[in-house]
Amino acid sequence: MTQSKNFRLFGLISVALAIVSSVRLWTDQDALTSSDTIGTALRLTVPILLAGMAGLWAERCGVLNIGIEGMMIFGTWFGAWGAWQYGPWVGLLFAILGGMFGGLVHAVATVRFNIDQVISGVVINLFAYFGVRYLSELVYVGKKGGGISQSPPQKSALPKFNLPVLSGGEIAGWKSPDFLGWLEARRWFILGDLGGIARGLTHSISWATVIAIIVVPVSAWVLWRTRFGLRLRSSGESPVAAESLGIKVNRLRYYGLLISGGLAGLAGGTLSIVASSYYRQGQTAGRGFIGLATMIFGNWRPSGILTGAMLFGYAEGIKLVASDSITALFLLIASMSGAFLIYAIIRHKRNQVLLTLSAFLLSAIAYRTIDTVPESLTQSLPYVVTLIVLATANQRLRPPAMAGVPFRPGEPH
Amino acid sequence: MQSGSVKPKLNSATDAGRVVELTNISKSFPGVIANRDISLQIDRATIHAIVGENGAGKSTLMKILYGLHQPDSGTIAINGVITQFKSPSEAMAAGIGMVHQHFMLADNLTVLENIILGSEPTKYGVLSLGDARKHVNELATSIGVEIDLDLPISDLGVGQRQRVEILKVLFRGAEILVLDEPTAVLVPQEVDELFTNLRKLVANGTTILFISHKLDEVLSISDQITVIRQGSTVATVSPKSIDRLRLAELMVGSDLPSHGERTTKVGEKIQLSARNLTVVAKNRKNPVQNVSFDIFESEIIGIAGVDGNGQFELCEALLGLVDTQGTVEIGGIDASNLNVRERLDQGLAYIPFDRHREGLMLTASLWENALLGHENSLSRGPMIDVESAKKSCREIIERFGVMTPSELVPAFVLSGGNQQKLVVGRNLATAPKVLIAAHPTRGIDVGAQAAVWDEIRRSRDAGMSVLLVSADLEEILGLSDRILVMFDGKISAELDPKKATPQILGKYMTGAQ
Repeated sequence: MTQSKNFRLFGLISVALAIVSSVRLWTDQDALTSSDTIGTALRLTVPILLAGMAGLWAERCGVLNIGIEGMMIFGTWFGAWGAWQYGPWVGLLFAILGGMFGGLVHAVATVRFNIDQVISGVVINLFAYFGVRYLSELVYVGKKGGGISQSPPQKSALPKFNLPVLSGGEIAGWKSPDFLGWLEARRWFILGDLGGIARGLTHSISWATVIAIIVVPVSAWVLWRTRFGLRLRSSGESPVAAESLGIKVNRLRYYGLLISGGLAGLAGGTLSIVASSYYRQGQTAGRGFIGLATMIFGNWRPSGILTGAMLFGYAEGIKLVASDSITALFLLIASMSGAFLIYAIIRHKRNQVLLTLSAFLLSAIAYRTIDTVPESLTQSLPYVVTLIVLATANQRLRPPAMAGVPFRPGEPH
Repeated sequence: MQSGSVKPKLNSATDAGRVVELTNISKSFPGVIANRDISLQIDRATIHAIVGENGAGKSTLMKILYGLHQPDSGTIAINGVITQFKSPSEAMAAGIGMVHQHFMLADNLTVLENIILGSEPTKYGVLSLGDARKHVNELATSIGVEIDLDLPISDLGVGQRQRVEILKVLFRGAEILVLDEPTAVLVPQEVDELFTNLRKLVANGTTILFISHKLDEVLSISDQITVIRQGSTVATVSPKSIDRLRLAELMVGSDLPSHGERTTKVGEKIQLSARNLTVVAKNRKNPVQNVSFDIFESEIIGIAGVDGNGQFELCEALLGLVDTQGTVEIGGIDASNLNVRERLDQGLAYIPFDRHREGLMLTASLWENALLGHENSLSRGPMIDVESAKKSCREIIERFGVMTPSELVPAFVLSGGNQQKLVVGRNLATAPKVLIAAHPTRGIDVGAQAAVWDEIRRSRDAGMSVLLVSADLEEILGLSDRILVMFDGKISAELDPKKATPQILGKYMTGAQ
């Protein structure tokens, strides 16, 4: 079964690559798969990915976490403070701790005091927003480069690395060749795209990115392969059943929310330490909520969240790197939905046919009629793309059954 | 932390002796004596059935055995050792496992995950799924169950879910299995399968306590039967030495008080008429099949029956809450195609089964609760006429003797009896033509019960027709002018309350005749 699954995945990727490559050559927009775009996309993927994973850990243990945005704000502020005082690694640690503080507040409010989970989350968002502003006034105002809405720059940046031989990394002072860069520059059909994508993923990578990616398999392993994970998930699926088997549901919800907060804090830290070199007010820019959206898109599974976050990252990356490639992106969307349309027609899936058809028509019309895209539209592109994918991806969502439902141990059910 | 706590299976079916011995167990809750001096001996590797009516005290007894309640007096001995269970986990540790009537399963987790949850075999905190799978498969094979361990519970039918619950309990090493009404949710074929599994379990040395009120099943599966009535053990018998009739008599008892004769006469006009009423259900047997009856003016028809034989669905059908086949006439008007509100406007009123779930908004004030269903008459345009609504609530409170400081307090501060009086009052205040009263006095004290009965009688004398659904035979016999017995979705008998006895009713209610 897994073999045919792998085969299908391989086929899917090949078709997608062929389409992308054709569109790139047809429109002459190398930015679609350039290592620049992919590298930027990867950087932008990281905070959303971590926010999504934060949502996953919270909901898997049975608590909605609307407060991810707020916990990320804590992460940005405390991370920047640590990085300013002690350097980037300590900064990341402080970012995690800041987020965990938010997670703890959420846990005490929702688990201990049974406050409505949505309300608690919203309050954390507001509290974080104004709380760090107050802290800035205390700590940053008057310092060199600091102010009420931003921190002084960090001491030093996190180191980045290139993969040796393939992407021009150094081995003991010797500069190895940049094979993927060479391949990308050739612009061959598919091979050139592969080169660009691979180089984007291996060139000038921050260690924070590596950590973020590792969170995905580690979370999956812990949640699905360990006793702790099974019990944590059971608290989100059926706390009553879990309790009847002697499992301490509320304690697990504390753990889950602490992990959730820590990941959200790390997400914030990557924004103020990696993507930037100082804290700035409003730095999170709603990424906590986008993270929640990717969690739903990813069907509450780590691999799905990774896919969703990459999609967001790519759409945002292309917007940043080459906003004139946007029209090419319309053609890309049109071609992709065209391919899905054919698949849907073959499989007789009526709803999918309708959805993909409308996506196809919309993007095709956009490609034919729009020459220059207004800035505001470019800004919303990542959301539009995600909406289209969400609408066309036919999946049965399986949220944790009891996420969001307060649980009072020892009460009759 | 424990790891892989699986006890070796007990294989010696020959190791006879008392596994469970309950001596003089008594347990009372405020106002109710649930168990009175119950003594029970259960032999190893047998199926011991405990039968009794609803509210007879079976469940309380099992909860005591499982550590959910502590007895007021009396002792529990397991394998000859006197023990006290303060919690279910202590009972579990002593080898007692309980399969609840309402399954405790996580829908999105797989069968295997559900079974091992809480006592997972692990190595350094990592699940040993291979070992777990092997062990569960062995258990499943030993009792003849076939199940895909990787399916999520949500993909399973009711019968299979029950199998998962049993495996779950066995995985924890239970040697004494308590099954609470295990067949209530099953269709006949599933019951047969379950019984096959249970017999294999017993052959492996497990002892089973089987709680039920279905006499056929009890007689076919058990080695011993203990009958409980009104909190006390009536008899312990062997199924070979007793027939259904005698068992039903034991279960229902005979000492019931009689009621005063009515002085008014049943009218001539048909107020409620049901013809060939069938409630169609997906995935299970139709809960109501081809039911027909007429209720005359000023007449009370009692529907007797053990819970879950279609009474609830019948009420819903009469109210228009579910899709039905057949016709309903209210006051001579065809109401089959009317919606709920239109039927109520024809003069129908309903006292629901469960006052908390269907009857009241517990956190809303009494006057708001009393307003429910009467919004049209108590409003001016789109606005509620608050003053009139409060006044009408005060009238209900006074007329029906609801004990409350005022009409402004939320419903949850009232005792169950007073809540019920409010619900009854709300429905009788507007003088409906037809009242459907489902368990109108369930769970309330004797005084409130008498008050509700008096009100129903008074309205009846004024011409109201009543469909009285109850599992309380005293209530049925005392109030009804005619009794219909419902069994398995059908009317199985029509009886004259003057001639009917609890024994006769019991026979029909349990399908013994």
